[in-house]
Order: sequence, then C-alpha cells, then structure tokens
Amino acid sequence: MIASLVVTLDRCHSDLHRTMDEIASLPGVEVPGPEGLQYRIPILIDSSCPDVLEERTRQLQQIPGVAFVDVVFVHFEDESGEIPGAPSERPTCHEL
Amino acid sequence: MKFRELRLKGQLAMSFDSEPMDAAFDRRQFIRASAMAAAAAVAGITGPALPILGDESLTGVNWEKAPCRFCGTGCHVQVGVQGGKVVAVAGDRNAEVNKGLLCVKGYHVGAALYGKDRLRKPLLRDGNSYREISWETAISTIADRIQAAPDRFAFYGSGQWTIPEGYAVQKFMKGGLSNNHIDPNARLCMASAVTGFLATYGVDEPAGCYDDLDACDVLIMWGNNPAEMHPVLFSRVIDRRSRGENVLLIDIGTRRTRTTEACQHYLEMKGHGDLAIANGIAHLLIKNGTWSRKFVDQFCSFKAPDDANPNLHGKAITFEDYKALLEPYTPEHVEALSGVSADKIRMLADLFGNPSLKITSLWCMGMNQHTRGTAINSMVHGIHLLSGHFGSPGNAPTSLTGQPSACGTVREVGTLSHALPGGMVVTDAQNRAKAEELWRLPPGRIQETPGHHTVKMWESFCTPTDKGGDISTIWVQVTNPGQTLPNLNKLFNPKGDNKAGLEDKFLIVSDVYPTATTRLADLILPSAMWVEKNGMVGNSERRTQQWFRMVDPPGEARDDCWQTIAVARELFNRGVEGMKDRDGQFLFDIKNGDGAPVPIWEWEHYYDTNVDEHLFEEYRQFTRFKHKDLAPYGEYVKARGLRWPVVESDGQWQETRFRFAEGFDPYVAEGKEIQFYHSSTHDDRAQIWFHPWIAPAELPDNDYPFMLSTGRVLEHWHTGSMTRRIPELSRAMPGAYAEMHPDDAAVYRLRNADRIRVESRRGSLIIPVWIDGRGKPPKGTLFIPFFDETLLVNDLTLDAVDPFSKQPDYKKAAVRISKVPS
Repeated sequence: MIASLVVTLDRCHSDLHRTMDEIASLPGVEVPGPEGLQYRIPILIDSSCPDVLEERTRQLQQIPGVAFVDVVFVHFEDESGEIPGAPSERPTCHEL
Repeated sequence: MKFRELRLKGQLAMSFDSEPMDAAFDRRQFIRASAMAAAAAVAGITGPALPILGDESLTGVNWEKAPCRFCGTGCHVQVGVQGGKVVAVAGDRNAEVNKGLLCVKGYHVGAALYGKDRLRKPLLRDGNSYREISWETAISTIADRIQAAPDRFAFYGSGQWTIPEGYAVQKFMKGGLSNNHIDPNARLCMASAVTGFLATYGVDEPAGCYDDLDACDVLIMWGNNPAEMHPVLFSRVIDRRSRGENVLLIDIGTRRTRTTEACQHYLEMKGHGDLAIANGIAHLLIKNGTWSRKFVDQFCSFKAPDDANPNLHGKAITFEDYKALLEPYTPEHVEALSGVSADKIRMLADLFGNPSLKITSLWCMGMNQHTRGTAINSMVHGIHLLSGHFGSPGNAPTSLTGQPSACGTVREVGTLSHALPGGMVVTDAQNRAKAEELWRLPPGRIQETPGHHTVKMWESFCTPTDKGGDISTIWVQVTNPGQTLPNLNKLFNPKGDNKAGLEDKFLIVSDVYPTATTRLADLILPSAMWVEKNGMVGNSERRTQQWFRMVDPPGEARDDCWQTIAVARELFNRGVEGMKDRDGQFLFDIKNGDGAPVPIWEWEHYYDTNVDEHLFEEYRQFTRFKHKDLAPYGEYVKARGLRWPVVESDGQWQETRFRFAEGFDPYVAEGKEIQFYHSSTHDDRAQIWFHPWIAPAELPDNDYPFMLSTGRVLEHWHTGSMTRRIPELSRAMPGAYAEMHPDDAAVYRLRNADRIRVESRRGSLIIPVWIDGRGKPPKGTLFIPFFDETLLVNDLTLDAVDPFSKQPDYKKAAVRISKVPS
C-alpha cells in the first residue's frame, strides 16, 4: 500500500523542530517536503503491510506537537482480490 | 530528501531527488509521486495536483468522483478503478467539503467492498439454517407477504439509502400501498434536530453550512466529538489555528474525548445539563442587557410548551413572559443542575453577548439522543437568535448528521412515517393532494394518519398479533436494527425467541454483509453497495451529491432500488391496484427515448437507462414546495455537490450557502435582511423557545448507581458491519469496552481489561474495562461504544423517547456493575 497524509502541527507547541524530527524518525515514513518549519507537512508511507499505515497514523497523532493527521491518498495494491473476513486470517506484519 | 516538480504529459507531478525521473519511472514510483503530489498540494506546498490521477495510460487506473460511503460529512473522494476493482482512493481536491482530505476511515472506504463474507445470493430461512433461492422466488415471497396483509407490512430504511432508493420506497409505500408504515434508522439519530428546526424556523435543516467553520471566532461543541466522528470538519478548524488564526474552541460534554484535547475550555456537564446551560445563557443575556434587541424585535417571537395541549409549536408568549420563565436560571442554579461552574456559564453568556464575535454551535447525537431533544435543539437555536449570532458567515447553529444521506434521503425525501417528499406531511390534505398529483394517483390514495415511528414499529413487530402487534412483516434496507435499536430485549430480540408467540412474523433484510439483524431474518437479500451502483446523497450542509456505478457487485447482489421496483412490478403483475397510477400505468414506468417502456424490474435491463436520473427528476418537482429546490440531475454530475436551494440565475444553477439571509438566499426579499419565510407564525419570524430543565428519563439510584452513555469510536463506523471486516481497523479496535473513571475502578478493585458485568433494568453485558482510556468519563459514569455486534450495549439502553421527535435517548441509562472473576 502507498498512502500520503498531511500532518498539521500545533503552532503553539514549544518545540516543533523536535516534533518534525520525531515524525521523520518513524520507520517507513517519508517526509519529502521542503526543508524548514512548516505547519502542514505532507507525508508518504509506502509499505507492503497495510497495518503499517494504520499504526504509523496512530503514532503520528500521538507525537507531541501534532494537532491533526488527515489522509489524502491511498493505493491498496491489493493482490489477493479479497480481504479476509476475520482479522485472525491475516498474517502478522513484521514491519510493525 | 527533497522533492522536486516533474512534468509528465504536461501535468504536474512530483518526484524525489533520490529517484530517477526518466522513462524508467515505473508504475509504483508514479503512484508514489501521485500520492506525494496530492498531499503536497493539500498542504499548500504546490499547486493543484490531482489531474495527474486522471492519466489512465500511465497508471492503468481510471479515476472517478464519489462521496465517501461513511458518515454525514459528505467528503468527496476520487475512486481509482483498475480491472473492475477499486484499487485506490484519494481525497478530492476539487471538493469544497474536504479540500482533498480524508479521515482515517478513508484508508479503507474502498476495502469495505471486499470482505469475503459479502452476501452473494438470496437466502430463505429453513428452520435453523438458510437455503439459497433465486431472485424470482425472493421477489415472489415478498409480494406474497405484502398481498396477504398489506396494512401489516412495514418498511424500515436508512440515512444510508440513496435519494433515489428512499424516494422509490416512499412512493411504493405511501403512494402505492396506501401504507405510511415507513421509517428510517435516522429516527434514532437526528429526528430531534428535525423537530428543533421545525419548531424554530418552521422548516427543517441548517441555515448555515461548513463555511461557518472557516469564519467563526468561537466554536462551541454541544455534546459533540467531531475530532473522532467528523474528523475532516474538525481538521478544517485545527488548520486555521496552524495558520495562526485565533479560534476559541469550547467542548460542552459528559466525558473527555479527543475533541476536548484541542479545546481551550472543557465544560463537563451532567446528563440534561445542556437544558440548564442554555437557559443560564439566555438568563444572563437578558439580565446583562446584551441580547440583540434589534434582531429579536425584527425577526423573532417567543414560545413555550403548551402543557394543556402538548404540540410541536407550543404557545406564544411575550418577551416579558420569557424573561420571567428564565428568572430561576441564575448561574448558581444552573451550576447545581448541570455541574458546570457558574463562572463558565458567565463566560458563555459573555461570548454570546459580544456582537463582534462570530459564534458557531455544532451538535450531533449528544443533543439529539435525548428525551428532551426537541427542547434542547430549539433552545440552542434560541440562544443564537436572542444574541443575534445568526445569518452571517461564522454565526450559525448547525446540527451534524452521522449518515451520508440522513438529510438528503430521510429529511428531504421524507422517508419518515409522517412525511411526504419536499418537507410535506401526510396529515395535511393539501400536501397529500400535491403528492397525488405529482405521482399521478387517484385522489385519496395517500393515507392521512402517520404510520408507526421506529420504536413503535418494532414494538408492534415484537408483540404477538393476538396481543395487538399490528406489524407482521418488516423489510429492512441498508441498516442494522438488530444492533442499533434501543432496549433490544424488547424491540428486536423477541423475534428470535421461539416462545415469544411471533411465529407469524416475517423479517426481510437487504444488506451487503451478515449482521446482527440478518441473524434473525427470514429472508436475506444481497445488496450492491456504494460505487457498485449509481447514487445520490445529501450531507449535513444541504449539499446534494451524485456518483456513477464504477464496479460490479459480487455474485447476485443487486441494487436496493431495483429490489423495491421488482417487488412493485410483481404486485402490479398480480393486479394490485395500488401499483398503478390513475391511468393504469405502472408506478415506476420509465420510457426510453422512443417512448417505449424500459423493463427496469428485470435486472438485466435495470441499467439500460439511468433509473436514478428518472427518479430524481420526478422527485425534484417536490423540492420547490418548501424552497428546497434542487437542480437538474446533470448539474450534480458536473459538481462536487450543490447546496440547496439551487436556483437558476442567468443560465447558471446557483447554490445557497446561508439560508434566510439577504444576499445569500434567493428567497429572501430585497430589503428584508433576514426573512424566515417558512415561519410557523406566518410572519417571517423565528421562534425563541423557553423549555424548563427536566431530569433524564432514568437516573442513577442505589440499585443502579452508574449513568451509562453509548456512542461511536474513530475506527468503526456505526455498527461496524463494514469497518469490522477490515483487518487493520479490526485490529486497531478489536472489540467494545467500558470506559470507567479510575476512582470508580479502585472501588471495585478493577484493572484494565478486567471483565465486568454491566446490568440495567433491561439487560446485562459482560465486557472488559478500559480505565483512563481514549475517552475519560467522570466518576459515576460509564461509556460503552455500540460498534461491536458481539457485545450489544443496546441490550441495556432505554427506549424512552422525546415526546415530539420520538427519538430515543442512548446517552443516559442507569446501570450497576460487578466484577466477573477471571
């Protein structure tokens, strides 16, 4: 799956540079926007494991200084043609 | 890593310095670039980027527009289809609602189509199991049930019905069968918003729109958690802050949520505290002389309940009467009733008393699922009117809806037991005559007595026929009452009890997946969903939206609208008079360009024509009666939705952002400034209501010492019938839980994940505890979400309803708890 998101920063947060560093340090997360402090940051997540997208989104939301995370684009690249009905039927993702 | 612009076939894309930008730019890289370009454009770093998505030759993906399948926000998505399958979704940059953004559920709106347990064949109960049957047998079975007892047949629908689907059922029931037993699940979520609008303005639906969120200085959320339930709208406000704008956010609620975290003020209230708070604000506005005398004198009248003759429009009172009724609601008295400090009440009154501020109020289930829902809805409108915070961008009282077409289908098409399309009602002879004329029916075909509202319908169904249960067959489409009805042990579960004396009752369910409702169904029909069919919906801000079918439904799944029309045709073929118009023609007669009938009741011919367009153009004629004008179908094909009234001016179809306000609303006469042209007092005035504070229908006591509230979670949409089949969402939020305050947990010696038995006077449930979880309920309260069909919190909830809207209260039930030994 390939997804892009926009992370909105809390302008009042005391250390937004640290916030941006934390965002960039998340595994599988690419922050290819222009350098320098922005308050809306485009993010790319590219993973063969759909769970990574979900998990990274949650982690982004929890970083101090992040006000909101919005989804913009999702490409499923699904090969099975069908998703399992029950979570237990899906293999565990080792990227998490 | 830096990004740089890239031009491919003349369109803007984006690449990364570390990646080649030559002919070897492969498909995956291209998709990555598209994804990044879309996000960068939304973040304001580059210009428009979505045209790149349209280049099918580069990606093999064909993109078309559709509104999201989930909530009532009405976000538009770009849907990518390849090989007959939805493979990608992107926020639609051209959509004013979401400006390219989606919420986390947007990850999965496409995947929701592909759960492997999609229903694919009609199934008929055979003892304790089901057998596959043909569509012909299924349609014939339904026709048999209707013919056997047409007045005991009911249709239970949904705010997820598309506009044409709801319109077809509305016409089939009220115009065809002369039967008003049609009601939707929206009765459970926004009926009190409807009655609040009607009681105040004489006509339903918000005057403002989402543009108010871009303009307000103060946003007050009344029992509302938009950060999780309407995230894209909340993000719009947070984005304003990120750009340095000052927006004061106030959360008035019964538990801390993600919304609270973003707010400058959190006012924690007791259940029904909102009634006292609204009166407290009005009290202070008058006492401080900060109410808007000009706005009130010109545009408002006053009302109070008529206790001798309870009715939606109450009795007229004077300003002096209103002032006297508010006299007891001092800040200190309000504090005692609501739990919110007197200082905070003064703060709210000072904000409303400041005419230079622009104030928007938002609400959803907190004010609607309330046994005084009509009252509190009217009162919040009243505060805005009394203070003059109405009618200009940023000044608006706005209710939100939870389903994609609660407004478009339920409120506008009128799929409620008392309603007709276009805001008309069955109790009005002139309204009935208008509907009969447009439907070409013989006079007197439409019955004047409202049918059963939701709670009454299901109570009747679950009551033995010989004991007065006058509904014997219900056809459910696009909803899951086996999970969402309150007090399930009274209103639904008896259907599955062999000793309940309900053997003659018959439940038909059209759905896309097995649900808590199909569990007890006698006949299950597999339905097409979202972009497997054409559709139109109407969102919370009066915006009507359209999409085309993009992929085939699985197996033998078919459109709900086709199912309705096929049954109607079967009855027509059997000679049922109601299925004919006054000229003897089939009710759903559609002719092609040569004037020959198109047999749309045969599935293989259903898409020979655009049935949605035909039904919509017929329905559109109703929308002019109450100034809810809709544009021709083709205009919606071109647009990302249009907000009604949509009127033609200089050859262009113009939408309306702010109703009742001169300069915005084409129906406001020149020089009027504000004109409530559907005023219930016929004088262009809105009504400012007084209602007293009244305690909830059930309060904690010694036997049941906790107050239980129910609601939704970010990961799952409503009953989870779609989102629980998506592994990522299911893993993120696998099951329901009881949120509890740490002090209460300590008393019961509970730790996280310990199991407790929660009991009300109506049922019980064993469920794990979540202490200090995502939401933080105050001491003495519990919160349990309703998405989990294995842990049905509605076994516990009350079926007490608001006296006017007939909407139940899911937010206040007295319960007790006990620890379950591990």
